[in-house]
Amino acid sequence: MDRNQLIKWLQAPAKMSHKYSLHAVYFCTGCGIIEVPPVITARWDAERFGVLPVATPRQANLFLITGYVSVKTLKAIIRTYEQMPVPNFTVAFGSCPINGGMYWDSYNTIKHLDKYIPIDGWIAGCMPRPEAIFVAVTHLWTLIDKDMADSSQRYRKQYRQYRANQEAVLGKLDWPPLFPFEGKDEHGVEEKTTINVR
Amino acid sequence: MNTALRKKLQSMFDDLKMTTSEGAEAIIAVPKEALLAVLSFLKSQGYEHLGLVSCVDWIEQEAFELVYILSAYLQEDHEHGDRERGNIIVKTRIPRKSPQFITVIPVFQNAEPYERELHELFGIHFEGHPRLTPLFLERDYHIPPFRKDFDTREYVKEVFDSIPPVEKPKD
Amino acid sequence: MEALSDDGHTEPGQSARELELYFGPQHLGMVGNFSITLKVEGDRIMEAAANPGYLHRGFEKLMELRTWIQNFPMVCRINVVEPDSMEMIYSMAVEKLAGIEVPERAHYIRSIYLEMARVGSHLFGLWAYANMLGFDTVAQWAMYHRDLMLDLFEELTGGRVYHIYIWPGGVRRDFPEGFTDKLVTTLHTIGGCVPDYDAAFFENRLFYERAKGIGTVTRQEAKEMGATGQVLRATGMEYDIRKVEPYAAYDRVPWAVPTREDGDAYSRIWVVRDEMIESVHMIFKLLDAMPQGEVYHRIPNPFKWEIAPGEAYVRCESSRGELGLYLVSNGQEKPYRVHFRTPSYPHGLTVLEKALQNASIADVGNIMISLYVVAPEIDR
Repeated sequence: MDRNQLIKWLQAPAKMSHKYSLHAVYFCTGCGIIEVPPVITARWDAERFGVLPVATPRQANLFLITGYVSVKTLKAIIRTYEQMPVPNFTVAFGSCPINGGMYWDSYNTIKHLDKYIPIDGWIAGCMPRPEAIFVAVTHLWTLIDKDMADSSQRYRKQYRQYRANQEAVLGKLDWPPLFPFEGKDEHGVEEKTTINVR
Repeated sequence: MNTALRKKLQSMFDDLKMTTSEGAEAIIAVPKEALLAVLSFLKSQGYEHLGLVSCVDWIEQEAFELVYILSAYLQEDHEHGDRERGNIIVKTRIPRKSPQFITVIPVFQNAEPYERELHELFGIHFEGHPRLTPLFLERDYHIPPFRKDFDTREYVKEVFDSIPPVEKPKD
Repeated sequence: MEALSDDGHTEPGQSARELELYFGPQHLGMVGNFSITLKVEGDRIMEAAANPGYLHRGFEKLMELRTWIQNFPMVCRINVVEPDSMEMIYSMAVEKLAGIEVPERAHYIRSIYLEMARVGSHLFGLWAYANMLGFDTVAQWAMYHRDLMLDLFEELTGGRVYHIYIWPGGVRRDFPEGFTDKLVTTLHTIGGCVPDYDAAFFENRLFYERAKGIGTVTRQEAKEMGATGQVLRATGMEYDIRKVEPYAAYDRVPWAVPTREDGDAYSRIWVVRDEMIESVHMIFKLLDAMPQGEVYHRIPNPFKWEIAPGEAYVRCESSRGELGLYLVSNGQEKPYRVHFRTPSYPHGLTVLEKALQNASIADVGNIMISLYVVAPEIDR
């Protein structure tokens, strides 16, 4: 470890430990899942970057959404995402979460994933190569260093908009809001939710 | 399909339109009342594998065409010494307004998920089906999605593109 | 307290200890986005209901909006593990409808290409199954060898996963210089590791204990439920579309269909292993017998290609079982109706629910992966 790294470790140890141990939730959302087993096994070895698949979202701080998202999967993704402890980072993999990709005119896939959950970074390609995941991870490290990987804070701040978008697609959600809505709603009334689930 | 089977079919069922060509599958168009009988007869002749139950929406002719594709597990027809039994496509038409039909589960048990899918995507009701609940979709669509009058691009514009993006926080 | 029948099992809905569990999409044992709703009592499953639809894109509707050629990049994404059999089936159907002939060398190249894809797909299945049982070392080996096959695909077609190599009228380009030598070296590498695989996994006592007698499907049940592929061949029936309705160059070289007798998970995985070895041998034979010649017959007018009205049903053998395509054209430049008969459809929906009855929770992943279900094939 050189002097620069040592100084970074001493100044912000929490940030450094977030960067170098990104535990990814094992959720195969779409076709991009084909390139994830090569990445986590011996040949392309993601563990040297600190990236490991873990069993439950409670143990994870990276959510890799691989491929397109259908309406049913969106429900599962939101439930999984809301269980992840903060700070967490979301990376969308493939062209489909960016703008719909190849299924831009499908009635069952959602087109822009960042209207529903906040995204830190995108990996374009159909299918991106395994090296693209590593480039994304190193990019994510730079963003974390500069405090720009703030998707979990954005989710909290703009939860009302996210939840409104989610309910526009999925109908009334049968789980209570994750955060109390901050600020006033459209009638100028201070919004207060009595349930505060974390 | 060999000639003996063809002759038998023609003699047992009138109102049958059969086209067979060399190297291709035999296509049999039957009226809807005779479908179950034709399928049971073909199953008894050795065509035991129901490969697919499909539906084609002929919107100009105001009909749904239900398609049942059969094939044989054993390619030898021992009774007539004939090999190479290929696929048989059995078709029938039902009217497009409030479409309903009977289920073929009594003859072919594995038709259950296919008919469930057709119910969901085309809106055809199958009498006697044990489980006509949604298979793939969770939302309600004003027209079943696979019909020709469902414009999927309009639907995408209306539902997905109308959702506003989340603005960046101001600070 | 609760009513118990003579053998200690209860009917669904009658036990006070009945729970509904979701072997849901986010699960360490789930490969692919699929969900099973289980009604369990203690450790025993009383009823299982498959819950597909997480990957439904409405493929068949989208394909009606794109021209015949524009559908080729679409069609491979239906089965993500082995996209090549999808390209093959669509190509076969289009060629049948349009009456296009394929040159002889292209038939051989298609067979070699499909067998390479079969080996890659079986290695992926082996990764999934070995991981599920806990044999992590064998899983790493299998994924590494699959990556070697993907390197070959990348050299041949330009893409690791989605190739778009089979085209109506032949294949897109001929083998590049030196490709055959690389293919032979890779196959020797993989084939030379078969004794290691056998010692570590296939002949391992632990695999035998975990998989023998689990998830049994009898031949009668498999035929009634429309199961094909490994599920049927593991019950002793020699049913393989490559022998029943030969296509490409499968009838030009001698080969045998591997079968096993018992119909349980153990037999199915052994069938997978035997098929992999048979595919490797078949590639060598095809390489020896391959003629020279052109690899592509041009389609009549690529800018405006209309196919005469008609319908066709073609079948091929993907690595999961019988894959079929029902294609209807009404004379336009776009298909009128496309319907894929995918092998995982009966396996994942009917056979799975039957095989999971009275199984124990610990065996759910075992049974599901040994039935070789690929979730995107069910939903399309």
